[in-house]
Amino acid sequence: MKIIKLSWRNLWRNPTRTNVTISAVALCIAALIVFQSMIVGLIEKAKFTTTDLIIGEVQVHAKGYLDDRSIYKSLQNIKEIHSVAKENNIGLVERSYGFGLISSGTKSAGTQFWGINPESELQHFDFANHIDKGNFLTNTSLNKIVLGRKLASSIAADIGTELVVFVQGADGSLGNELFYVAGILKNMADNIDRGAAMILREDFDILFSTNNLIHEIALNSKGRLESEEIQKLVSAKTTGLDVKTWQQLMPTIALMTEKMIVFMRTLFSLIFGIAASLGLMNTMIMSTYDRMREFGIIRAIGTTPWRILKQVSLESLLLTIIASVIGVVVGLSGALYFQKFGFDVTGAGNMSFGGVVMDPIWKASVSAGIVFLPVVLLMLVCILSSIYPASIAARIKPVEAIHYKP
Amino acid sequence: MNTKKEIVSLRNVIKNYGHGKVITKALQGIELNILEGDFSVMMGPSGSGKSTLLNIIGGLDKATSGEVNFNGKDFNTLSNKALSIIRRNHIGFVFQNYNLLPVLTAYENAEYVLMLQEIPISQRKEKVMHFFQEMGLEGLEHRFPRELSGGQQQRVAIARAVVSDPLLVLADEITANVDSETAQSLLELMETLNKNNKTTFLFSTHDPAVIKFAKKVIVLKDGKITNEQISSENIEKYTKR
Repeated sequence: MKIIKLSWRNLWRNPTRTNVTISAVALCIAALIVFQSMIVGLIEKAKFTTTDLIIGEVQVHAKGYLDDRSIYKSLQNIKEIHSVAKENNIGLVERSYGFGLISSGTKSAGTQFWGINPESELQHFDFANHIDKGNFLTNTSLNKIVLGRKLASSIAADIGTELVVFVQGADGSLGNELFYVAGILKNMADNIDRGAAMILREDFDILFSTNNLIHEIALNSKGRLESEEIQKLVSAKTTGLDVKTWQQLMPTIALMTEKMIVFMRTLFSLIFGIAASLGLMNTMIMSTYDRMREFGIIRAIGTTPWRILKQVSLESLLLTIIASVIGVVVGLSGALYFQKFGFDVTGAGNMSFGGVVMDPIWKASVSAGIVFLPVVLLMLVCILSSIYPASIAARIKPVEAIHYKP
Repeated sequence: MNTKKEIVSLRNVIKNYGHGKVITKALQGIELNILEGDFSVMMGPSGSGKSTLLNIIGGLDKATSGEVNFNGKDFNTLSNKALSIIRRNHIGFVFQNYNLLPVLTAYENAEYVLMLQEIPISQRKEKVMHFFQEMGLEGLEHRFPRELSGGQQQRVAIARAVVSDPLLVLADEITANVDSETAQSLLELMETLNKNNKTTFLFSTHDPAVIKFAKKVIVLKDGKITNEQISSENIEKYTKR
């Protein structure tokens, strides 16, 4: 007869108590798997949305452009960037920026005009799909404009509204044109909501008297390559340009997503770890006191304290193993369900946070780490929490324990 | 001249319980020798110190002062672990309430000490089955204690105590929970083991039936061994619980 057999039988001498404890620990493991996969899913989606919506994984600007955003600080010699993108199958879009005034009737607002190529934006980025009203631009949408939601509201513009645009051209002349509202964007980032007006690059050149000026190149591999890797590839082929990763462009969001995962996973691990360990410790203490007399007997007939410590800890380990199997089956099923179907948070409205648009369907992200971490953690915590009851059993004086009355 | 080996030797053993002003003197200067092959019975009224003495001889409790020698080893100088090992290898215990482990079968209960001694499975089986045969426990190997009668449980407890061929078996009120017929058969069984295997027994009891089997009777009174002889006139005093 092995110690494991003895521990196994001891575990089932009070099946109700054991089943309740197994259920509690299994529930903690399952909940931890589901919650962690949901958190990782949320953060990973937020990260992806951040890059995929508009920013890209890497952006290239002329030196100093990001500090004063002058129309004259445009990118030169961009052939190398195109070749890097092509060689590595990285999506690339070119954007032009200029500032001006936009008015509708008696209302007007300061605006940042984006000169874009709708086809490549649609191909490599997602913001063109975030249209609240009307349609996004096409390559033939001359004199059509797409507005940020709050900007449209501030000048009381709707689909088809005629807008008058005033800008100072690159040559110092005054540029003015009539545009018609083609679409209004959904909530995205605050700077886009309040001040973005998107037009075709051809219209931009006419309006600002420029000739194919490019202020920004955004590169997006859609998660296939790490942003740092793209940065290295581009930097290796170019000189005198600002090549920045999205983490460098949006350090707050990068930090938030990174820290958030660690914080949330730690928090949930602590909550469920403590809950499971207290439940298990309670069970093991009750079980120890119930069997005090027996421990006295086996001590009397020559069992060493160390062996008793091992036996009680083994009971706890067996219980945790059973709970882990159940917890993983339940938790993994739940997590896989949420990975496939997600959790619909449409009712909460169109959510954006700190420039990150949240997907209305909140999906889990399941990985081996998400399953094994809770199991390993809970096993460790449960074994540690069995040490106290095990030490009670190991330290008893046989002569007192033999006469112990519960 | 007595050539028997001395298994237990107690010299001026004192055991006090409590602290400060409230001290209970459980044993007061006990002098006792237990020799190999003894079949001794300790008698005495409740509170006379029988159980305390049994616990000290068995290494379950420590004397307040005095010398406790077991097979040449001074119990006062041994650690808890060393005492555990001596109990495991050299002392068998039979308790009043059988105290079998409920999650183990009769066979496994008897086998438990041999397992602690790390004896190979085949030898364990041989030894356990030998004693089960000798004690009329054949066919009951796979029964759990709850499936056995009181007498059967006590037989298994005796098997557990003697299966490892200990130097000494301590039996505390082993007939208290069984009927007189079963008690008689248990005592006969132990007497046989004493005769055949030279197993040394020390009983603590209130049961006058046990005295009939005793080779030596130790009478305890107020924590001391008295020279009083047990007779039909005074036996009631020692068998009153």
